[in-house]
Amino acid sequence: MRADPTLFDPLTAGEIADALRTLTEDKRVHGMAKVGRYRVLCVEPLVVKPPHWMAGHRLARVVVYDYAADRTVDACVDLDAGVVAHLDFSRAQPVLSREEEDLATSIAIVDDNVRSKLALGDIPQATLHYWGRTASELAYGRRSAAVLFGRGDGAPSLVAVVDLLDQTVTQVVPAELW
Amino acid sequence: MSNVISEANWKFHWRLTESAGIMIYLADFKGRRVLWEASLPYVTVDHQRESLEPTSDPGERHGTWWLPLGGRTIQGPVRVQSFRGGVELSATFASGPYHYTQLWRFHDDGRLCPWLTIYGPGVHPQHTYHPHFRFDFDLDGARDDAFERFEEGRWQRVEREGWFPYTGEADKDGTVWRQVDFGSGAAINIRPHSWDDAEMFAIRYHDGEWAPYSPRSGAGNQSFPAAYIGDEELDGEDVSLWYVAHVHFDQSFPYTAGPWIKVEGLR
Repeated sequence: MRADPTLFDPLTAGEIADALRTLTEDKRVHGMAKVGRYRVLCVEPLVVKPPHWMAGHRLARVVVYDYAADRTVDACVDLDAGVVAHLDFSRAQPVLSREEEDLATSIAIVDDNVRSKLALGDIPQATLHYWGRTASELAYGRRSAAVLFGRGDGAPSLVAVVDLLDQTVTQVVPAELW
Repeated sequence: MSNVISEANWKFHWRLTESAGIMIYLADFKGRRVLWEASLPYVTVDHQRESLEPTSDPGERHGTWWLPLGGRTIQGPVRVQSFRGGVELSATFASGPYHYTQLWRFHDDGRLCPWLTIYGPGVHPQHTYHPHFRFDFDLDGARDDAFERFEEGRWQRVEREGWFPYTGEADKDGTVWRQVDFGSGAAINIRPHSWDDAEMFAIRYHDGEWAPYSPRSGAGNQSFPAAYIGDEELDGEDVSLWYVAHVHFDQSFPYTAGPWIKVEGLR
């Protein structure tokens, strides 16, 4: 099978900007673009195989989370043609963006319940994408992050679950009880 | 550093992804196409609670979390090193109490080792890692493939998409699954690590049906890759494979998960 390896190359800054402009001008996501409560999670190259009609085209896969509609937008932008070639809406939970990770950390760190349980020297160690096991947890159906607190490189001491839709802490659990 | 490596009878390309670790693509062995693309889309972690009282055992109370292996968690550069009889790529990823080294090892006899070494203490000792490796083998082309599993003492053709856990049965070389190319008769043999508690998902290839940047397809739904499984035929089609390991943390960590893969029959 002949394939052009350059199609797998990381997108340039210009290609990323082009992909996002093309997507946000598409009428099917007009509402999302107008409201502007969305996060761009990933813009990466996508390569399709022959004999697909787009094989050989420079493609970008754009994954966006639309907070206003609480849904994921998964788009394939054909950069050669300047069109959105494929668009899918779902309730899937794509990876947190770096900005969402930072937001979750900032919410957890000022929460009174969290602060009351932190030991001296505890700092945020990591922020992870979290989803609950059962419907009894808010994080089961809502976009959420888990922020781990602890001392430097030591073991975590506390887990705080942050609901990113309401921007609130929904659970605070000692790490050993997680 | 060039992202094309020609060494040890292999020629392959690589790049660092945003969430699926180091991706390998367009890999040829002795000038013949073996792999279109392969990556490590997710490493999820869940937690258990232990109790000596069965009646009070809380089981798994919390859900799963994950951190993407990619640009935001990589520690230092991707390393390319030759070793006797091959060449390997490696990269270290870390976030909080989770530490991983992803490895891609290419041997001159056709072996390929996509591995993940897991370090770090986690939140507490009672936790399990679930690395998900995805392979899109295109042995001598994308189509005319078949997927087989070793079962009841012989190789058996799998006609439709499905989930195929390692049951402990393997051929004399330890191979449990293989992808065969009808045209050339060549095969990709896959042997699980015996402590991986491994399972294989065999799915008909669809463009873009991979790494949706999350293992979660929706509340109450199957997670990926199980959510990709339908009832499509595999025989003679283009097949993609997901190898999923389940590794419970213990004090003997670090542990290296992932299969041994060998290309055979290319002439």
